[in-house]
Amino acid sequence: MTLSLHTEFPAPDRVIVHVGGRLDAMTFGELDEAMPALFRRLDDGGTVVIDLAGLEYVSSAGLRSFAKIRKSMRARGGHTLLLNPQPQVRKVFDIVKAVPVSEVFTSTQELDAYLDRMQRQITEGDSDA
Amino acid sequence: MVLRSIASRMALWVLAGSTLVLAAIGALLLSLTRAQILQHTHHEAAALAASAGSEIQARIDRVAISAQMLATIIATRQDSAEPLLRDTLQANRDMDGLAAVFRPSSNPVDALPYSPFVGRLDNGALASRDLSRDAKPYWKSNWFLGGLGCSAGCWQRPFLSLSRQRQLINYSVAISHEGHPVGIINADVTLDWLHRILGHLDKPEGAYAFVLDSDGDYLAHDNPALVGKRGAPALLEALASDQAESVRLSVAQNPQVHGAVWVYSAPIEGTHWRLGLVVPEVQIYAGVRRIFLWGLLLGILALLCVALITLLTIRRTMAPLGVLADRAEHVARGELDFELPSTSRHDEVGRLTQSFDQMRHELALHLQDLARVAREKQRLASELEIAHQIQIGLLPSEHYLDAVCAHFELHAALRPARAVGGDLYSYFMLDPERFFVMVGDVSDKGIPAALFMAQTITLAKALAPRAQTPRNLLRLLNLELCRGNDSCMFVTLLCGLLDTNSGNLVLASAGHEPPILCGHGAPQLLDFITGAVLGLYEDSDYPEHHLRLRQGETLLMYTDGITEASDHHQQMYGIERTVECLAQVPSAAPTAGYIERLLGDVDRFVADAAQADDITLLALTWHGAAQADADVCVASQLADVFAGLDRCEHLLQQANVPSALRGDMRLVLEELMVNTVEYGYPDGRVGQIRVLLQPRPDAVTVELIDDGVAFDPLQSVCPNLPGDLADHEQIGGLGIHLARTVTSEMRYTRDAHGNHLLLRFIYPNQNGSSS
Repeated sequence: MTLSLHTEFPAPDRVIVHVGGRLDAMTFGELDEAMPALFRRLDDGGTVVIDLAGLEYVSSAGLRSFAKIRKSMRARGGHTLLLNPQPQVRKVFDIVKAVPVSEVFTSTQELDAYLDRMQRQITEGDSDA
Repeated sequence: MVLRSIASRMALWVLAGSTLVLAAIGALLLSLTRAQILQHTHHEAAALAASAGSEIQARIDRVAISAQMLATIIATRQDSAEPLLRDTLQANRDMDGLAAVFRPSSNPVDALPYSPFVGRLDNGALASRDLSRDAKPYWKSNWFLGGLGCSAGCWQRPFLSLSRQRQLINYSVAISHEGHPVGIINADVTLDWLHRILGHLDKPEGAYAFVLDSDGDYLAHDNPALVGKRGAPALLEALASDQAESVRLSVAQNPQVHGAVWVYSAPIEGTHWRLGLVVPEVQIYAGVRRIFLWGLLLGILALLCVALITLLTIRRTMAPLGVLADRAEHVARGELDFELPSTSRHDEVGRLTQSFDQMRHELALHLQDLARVAREKQRLASELEIAHQIQIGLLPSEHYLDAVCAHFELHAALRPARAVGGDLYSYFMLDPERFFVMVGDVSDKGIPAALFMAQTITLAKALAPRAQTPRNLLRLLNLELCRGNDSCMFVTLLCGLLDTNSGNLVLASAGHEPPILCGHGAPQLLDFITGAVLGLYEDSDYPEHHLRLRQGETLLMYTDGITEASDHHQQMYGIERTVECLAQVPSAAPTAGYIERLLGDVDRFVADAAQADDITLLALTWHGAAQADADVCVASQLADVFAGLDRCEHLLQQANVPSALRGDMRLVLEELMVNTVEYGYPDGRVGQIRVLLQPRPDAVTVELIDDGVAFDPLQSVCPNLPGDLADHEQIGGLGIHLARTVTSEMRYTRDAHGNHLLLRFIYPNQNGSSS
């Protein structure tokens, strides 16, 4: 089984990347190559949501890819949020403490609540300014 | 509250005790005094009564004598009777009247004889008349007829003279002429003088006197109302009795006197009268009672004073004790720094204060000592703990799995009886194909044994490469240990050298317990010839014993801690029980099973008796040169590696390995193999990577062999994991870290074929977790 990628843009400042299959030393390149194009279409300060519901397996190479995405987004003033990690993926994340716990969500509702809260903060910040 | 102080209690007791003693003495004294006073009163009153009696008698005698003389004279000179009567009356004022009356002649014609009566008038003058001229004939009256019979004189009954308005009593004497009574002399005696005598008696206060006549009527009485009345029956009865002189009556007849009385009486001679003196008992004891009451009052006052003085004295004496009691509470709280009352007294309180002070000082010293000992003990304990850690550090791990082909497996257990012990075991690869193992027991226990054990283990490791065979090793070790062993400690040691390819085992023993071979049939005790213990005799030799382990056989080595484990009745576990216990272990059991079984059985046998000796147990299982179930061989290229990974996964799936474990294994294999591909061949050549899979019932063993550069993943540094990988510039070591974490067990060796990595994945449902 190989890697499957599928992206959608629900808003100009948000992209959802559905990652499926296996993300290992063989397949991590595909993700790495796909991302720059997405970044270009995304507004600065936007959010990348990586939906891991379909990802069965990740190895250290995959972890490095996620780290690269997070690093790029941080450089653009944006956020990277991870959604729905499966048991094996979750275990690997836990062992290497790959991402802050606050950026991993187990359900879409949880993620939406978080995004709403963030949105409100930004708009309030704008009105204050 | 008040009674809580010793002083008040003692004062109270002194008061109570003194009161009791004084009351007893007082009561005794009172009764003695009463008896004495009574005696005295008896004497006095009896004397008084007697003297009064004699005074009365003297007066009466005068009347009687006068009357008798008159009778004698008048018998012959009847005519001069009247002047005689006058003279006599003149001379004796006790008489109120005198009569000389004669019996009329038997001839009625004769004139009546002149019978004069001379009486004293109220003015003192004497008047006479002739009684024969009275209307009532005297010779027929009782007093005359009675008087005729009284030749020696008799006292008649008293009577109240109506003519003279006074109480009178008659004394009659017969006038005899020629032996015949011809008349009588009758003297009227007033009783006024009797009253006067009674009145003038020197009586005690409250006492009264009386005179009783022969009939028991009162002739005279200090209470005039009773005169003429009859005496009380009790009185009369008492007077009639033998002890008439002093009699106690519970009730007096005299209404003026209350309570019991003492009656003292004296007879009046010549009459049948009795003089009585009555003294109320109250009066007798009045004095003594008053004195006693005063005494009582003074006694009570004195007692109160004594109690007060006792209270004050004791309180003053005990004052330091109160302070001491207070200080003792300080001591109980651990405060030893306080002031004690200064005392120069040499009594018990002074001594107590001094001893208290001394006790405080010695207690402080003792506490210091105790603290020092406690620190010392703590230091020793911590040193002992460090020694324990060091000793544990000297021992290799409790499980060893052959890294090359998993041909053999070793499990060990060591339980020191104290913090540190003298048992030891060790094992190491002498070279890539020979595995050295030993178990030993130092003669003593505790720290000396631990030091000797450390020396033995270190020497054995150092000497093994030179010795090459167990026999040589024991000889060399013996020589080294004999050197400078003045304390004559020794160690028993069992050495084994295993050929990891063939399963050939060479054993040599220095006085150690024989090992037991298990796995095929009944356990077999390998009781071969042993040499002497190490450290005592320099020229000892150690014969070797050769055997070949068959697949699935386990060699069990142990120390005497097992066989000599004792229960409460000092009964030893013994080698028979050991063999029996091992016989019950199923032949396919894992190596650790032998150890668990035997230790469990020993524990049950010993129950809660203290462990006397160190226990060491070592099991070596030969799995044999079994072929790997699956052998995947790939070139050192990424695509080949992933193809190999897929094949492995397929094989594992066929072997029914759970999917979670397959995921773990894939992750580990990918990380390790990708790592080998990336870093194992810096010269660019294409190498070969072999994966040998051995699924077993409880775990999957994987041997990973590559011909790349030497690399021990167990030695790689653990990456710094801050919680966010994106914070790192370069992320390295992640894969190795993942592989090490997920694998249950990992062993590395390198030999001529290259790197051997033995991985073990224990089934999650057997261990509770997959990592």
